[in-house]
Amino acid sequence: MKWNGRQWKLLALCMLVMAVLLAGCSGGGKSSGNSGGSSSGGDSGTARNNEDTGGSGDKAETVTVKFTNFSASGDNEKYLQQMKEEFEKQHPNIKVEIETLAYDDYFTQMQTRVASGTAPDAYELNYENFVSYAKKGVLLDLTPMFAGFDTSVLNKNALEAFSTDGKQYGLPASFSNVVLFYNKDLFDQANVSYPTSDWTWADAEQAAEKIRSLGDNIFGIYQPIQFWEFYKKVQQNGGSLMNADMTQFTVDTPQNVETLQHMVDRVLKTNVMPTEAQMAGMGDWDLFKSGRLGMLVTGIWAFPDFTQNITFDWDIEVEPGNTAKATHFFSNGLVINKDSKVATAAFEWLKFMSASREAAQIRVDAGWELPAVNYQDVLDKYLQVTPPNNKKAVFDSLNYLVTPPVVEQNAEMTDIIGLHLQAARDGVKSPADALRDAQKELEQRIKLQ
Amino acid sequence: MPRVSKHNGWFAAIGFLLPCLTGLILFNLIPVAGAFTLSFTDWDGLKPIAPKDGVPAFVGLDNYASILGGDEFWRVLRNTAVYIVLYIPLILIASIAAAMLLHRPYRGVSVYRVLFYIPVLTSWVAGALIFKSILSPEYGGVNDLLNQFGIRGPGWLYDPNWAMPGIVLASIWKDMGFFALIFLGGLQGIDSSYYEAAKIDGAGPWRRFRHVTLPLLSPITFFVTVICLIFSFQLFPQVMIMTDGGPHGATQVMVERIYRYAFSYFKMGYASAFSFILFAIIFLFTWLQLKLQKKWVHYDA
Amino acid sequence: MLRRYAGPFFFYVMATAIAVIVLIPFFWMISTSLKSKGALTAVPIEWIPEEISFEGYRKVFDVFPFARTILNSAFVAGLTTVVRLAAAAMAAYAFAKMRFRGRDILFAAVLATMMIPQQVTFIPLFLVMKELQLINTFTGLIAPSIFNAFAIFMMRQHMRTVNDAYLDAAVMDGATHRTIFVRLMLPLSAPILATLAVIAFMDAWNDYLWPLVMLSDPNKMTLPLALSKLSGQYATDYNTLMAGSLISIVPIVAVYLAAQKHFKAGLQVGGVKG
Repeated sequence: MKWNGRQWKLLALCMLVMAVLLAGCSGGGKSSGNSGGSSSGGDSGTARNNEDTGGSGDKAETVTVKFTNFSASGDNEKYLQQMKEEFEKQHPNIKVEIETLAYDDYFTQMQTRVASGTAPDAYELNYENFVSYAKKGVLLDLTPMFAGFDTSVLNKNALEAFSTDGKQYGLPASFSNVVLFYNKDLFDQANVSYPTSDWTWADAEQAAEKIRSLGDNIFGIYQPIQFWEFYKKVQQNGGSLMNADMTQFTVDTPQNVETLQHMVDRVLKTNVMPTEAQMAGMGDWDLFKSGRLGMLVTGIWAFPDFTQNITFDWDIEVEPGNTAKATHFFSNGLVINKDSKVATAAFEWLKFMSASREAAQIRVDAGWELPAVNYQDVLDKYLQVTPPNNKKAVFDSLNYLVTPPVVEQNAEMTDIIGLHLQAARDGVKSPADALRDAQKELEQRIKLQ
Repeated sequence: MPRVSKHNGWFAAIGFLLPCLTGLILFNLIPVAGAFTLSFTDWDGLKPIAPKDGVPAFVGLDNYASILGGDEFWRVLRNTAVYIVLYIPLILIASIAAAMLLHRPYRGVSVYRVLFYIPVLTSWVAGALIFKSILSPEYGGVNDLLNQFGIRGPGWLYDPNWAMPGIVLASIWKDMGFFALIFLGGLQGIDSSYYEAAKIDGAGPWRRFRHVTLPLLSPITFFVTVICLIFSFQLFPQVMIMTDGGPHGATQVMVERIYRYAFSYFKMGYASAFSFILFAIIFLFTWLQLKLQKKWVHYDA
Repeated sequence: MLRRYAGPFFFYVMATAIAVIVLIPFFWMISTSLKSKGALTAVPIEWIPEEISFEGYRKVFDVFPFARTILNSAFVAGLTTVVRLAAAAMAAYAFAKMRFRGRDILFAAVLATMMIPQQVTFIPLFLVMKELQLINTFTGLIAPSIFNAFAIFMMRQHMRTVNDAYLDAAVMDGATHRTIFVRLMLPLSAPILATLAVIAFMDAWNDYLWPLVMLSDPNKMTLPLALSKLSGQYATDYNTLMAGSLISIVPIVAVYLAAQKHFKAGLQVGGVKG
C-alpha cells in the first residue's frame, strides 16, 4: 500500500529533524541552513550578536551599534536609512545596524529582550515607557557623556522630558505637540469665523454648536476623553492631576470636575461631539478626513496624512484654553542599554539622530515629525511646507507646553484614570463621581514616593 | 492491551515518548517552574534577573493574597464565567450541526468545507475589525438585520451588558469551522455499519443521531468540551482588539489582566501569581470533567 | 419522489445559508482591501466599493521583501507541522495503547500544560532559549512545537477508539509496537492527522508573538511580522491590512484543500470491526 512508503519517509524525516534540532542546540549555526545563497545579512545576524556582547575588541577599528526603533516603520524607513548613511560618512569607524519594528507589541518585545539581557545597544521608547524603564534602572545614565556637547541646539523642554531624578537618560528623537485642526469649508458653511489664538472654551463651543446644526451626520468638535487629553485640559482650567511635587493625586478637585463636565457635556448634552456608538469604530482622523467634523484636537503628526488625503480646505490653531492655555507635549526618546558594550559609539549615533543639523534637515524634508532642535534655518524650512498655512501655531503652542505627570506605575495610573473617564463619557457616572472614584482607586493602588 | 507483554513498560514506551518528553521538560516544565518561582517575587519583568543583587525580591504569598483579596480578580472571573456560559453550549451545538451537515456525501460538499473553515484561517486582527463594524449599533449589519424584524438592536460593544455577548458572537463565527472540522473527523471514523444496523431496526434520523452518532462521537465531544473550557478560560485576542477590556472594564478577563500586569504595568511576579490561580481553577474543572467522563463517554464499541 | 430530493434540498439550502452568513465578514474584508484610502471612511458603510483600487495590494508588496517572507513562513510552518505531528503521534500511541507505570499521571501532566496562560511562561521560555543559544534561529523558533498537548490529546482520544482486538490480531502475527504503530495506527489515524496538520500549519503560519521575539534578522521574518508593520504608531492602513491578511490566507487554504483528500482515506483502510 502506498501508505507504508509515505509513513516510513515521514518517520525518517522526523528522525532527521530531531537530529537537526539536537545538533542545533550546540550553537546557533543552523540559521542559514534554510535557503542556499542567502545574503550575508542572514549570517552576520548571529555573528554580530556574539561580536557585540563578546566585546568589540576582535575587530579593533570598526564598532557596531545595534539600534532598534518603531517610529520609522511604514513609510519612513528610507529616511532613517539616509540618516544612517550620513552618520557613517561622518564616523567611518562606527557601523549602525538598524532594526525597525511595528509599534504594536514593540514594547512586549523590548521588555522580553531587556529582561533576558539581549537588548540592543540603543533603542527608541515612547514617553510612557521611558519613565518606567528609567526608574527601574535598565537605562544608561547619559549625563557623563554630555561633556563637550552643546545642548543649546536641542529644544529645552524636549531634553528635560528625558531626565529623571536629575539624571539624563535619553535624548529626544523628535517631538510633536497637539493643536486644533479645523475644516474651513464647514466653518464657511455655518457662517462662523475661523479660530484665533485668543479663543477660549466658550468660543469653541459656540462654533461647534453652529456647525453641528448643519446636519445630523456632521459634528462640531472631537477631543478624545482620555487621560492624555484630560491631564492637559484640566490645566487649561487652572487645575491639575497631581500636586506640584508629585506626592499626591489631586484628581477630584472642583476645577477638574468642571473640566470633565465640560468635556462630557459636549457628548451627552449638546452632542457636538459624537458618542462612541455614533463613531461606530471609526477613528477620529477618519471622521475629520471625511469632511464631517468641524474641529479636531490631535497631534501634528497628522500633517502628512491629512495633506495627502484631504480635499477640503483646512488649517490649524493653538488649542483654546479657559483660564490658561495648555498644550500637550509628546516625544519619543532614544536611550542606551545600561549593559551595552559600545555605549560611547551608541551615544554618537543618538546624538546625531537627535541633535545634528543633517538629521534635522532630513526629517523636515521628509515631513517625518519635528526635530527637537533650535536650528532656525531648518525650522524656517518646516514653516514653509503647507498646508496647513498657520504652521506658526505649532511653535506658538510650545509656549504653553505641559508635560504629563509620570510616575513609576505609569501604565496602571493612566489605565485607572482612563477607565473612570470612560464611565463619565458614556454617561454611566457623573463627572464628580467618576473623578472621586478615580482618586480613591489611585490612592489605593499607586505608590508615590 | 496488546499482549506484547515483554514489550510493555517503560522500556518500550520510552522510544515513543522521548521527543515529547524532551520538549515537555525543556520548553514547558522548566519555564513553568521559573514562572512559579517568580510568582513569589516582586519581579517587574524588565530588570534582568540577578538574585545576588536582590533582583527580584521575595515577597512570599503577598501577590496571591492581594489578588484574592482584591475586587478585580473576582470581577474578571465573573466576566470570564459569563463568556464561558454563553459560548460553550452555543459552540458545541453549532459545530456538531455544521459537522453533520458537512458529512453528507453530496456534490460540492468539499467546497462548503473550505468555506466554513475560512473564518478560522483569518487572523483575529482582521476578524476583530470586521466584527467591530458589523456590531456597530448605528451602521452595523447585525442591528440592520434585527431592524428588519422590528427588533431594536442593543449597543453591543458599547454597552457593558452586551459587549460580552458581542464577543461571544464573534468567537462563534471564528471557531465554528475549527470544531466542526474536528467533529467531522470523528463522524468519519464512525463505521457506517452502525447506521445500517440502526436503519434495519427502523430508527429514524433523530433516533439514529441520539443513539448512534452521539454516543460514538462522545470521545471527540469530550475532547472538544475539555479543550473549549481550557481555551475559554484563557480568552484573550478578541478582547484586546475588539473592546480592550471595555466598556469600563466589562470585558476585562483573566488573561487580559495577566497580560497587562506582565507587559504594561511591569508587575511580572503579580501576573505570574494570577496565572497560577487561573491554572488551579482550570485544573479543577478539567479534573471534574475527567472524573465524569466515565458516565457518558464510550470508548470502543 | 419528494423524499429523494428532500435530503439534498435541505442540505444545499442550509449549507448555503450558513456559508453566506459565515462569509459576510469575509466579503467585507475583500471589499475593504479593494478600497482606496479615502473611501475607507465613507458612511454608511460601503459594501461594494465605488471605485476599485488596488492601492492596498500594491502597498503590501512595497513594504517588505514579499517572496522571502512567504518562503520563510512556509518553511517554518511546514517544518513545525511535521515535527509536531510526528512527536505527538508517537506519544499519543504510548498513552493510548501502551501500559507503563505513571502513564495516567503523565498524561494528566500533559493536559495540565495547556492550562497555564502563555503570557506568563513567555519570558522564562525565552530565557531557556537564550541559555541554549537558540535565539534568532529557526531551530529555536520551531523547537517548542515538539511538544504540543493539544495534538497529543486529540490523537490519543482517537487512538483509544481503535479496537484492541484488532491490534491483538497483529500481535499474534508477531508485530512489535513499532510495527503496529506504523502499519496500523498511522493509516487509521489519517483523518485526524490531516485535521491536525491543517491546525498545526495554521497556528505556525499565523503565529506572531513568538517569531517577533525570537527572530531579529529581517531576512528571517515571517508573514505576520511583516504584516504588522503596516500599522503605524498612529494610524492603520485598513485596506493594506486587509489585502495582506487575504494574501496570507491563500497558502493555508491550499494546505486545507490538500489535506481534505485524506479526510476520506481513513474509511478506505479495511474494516475496523473486529
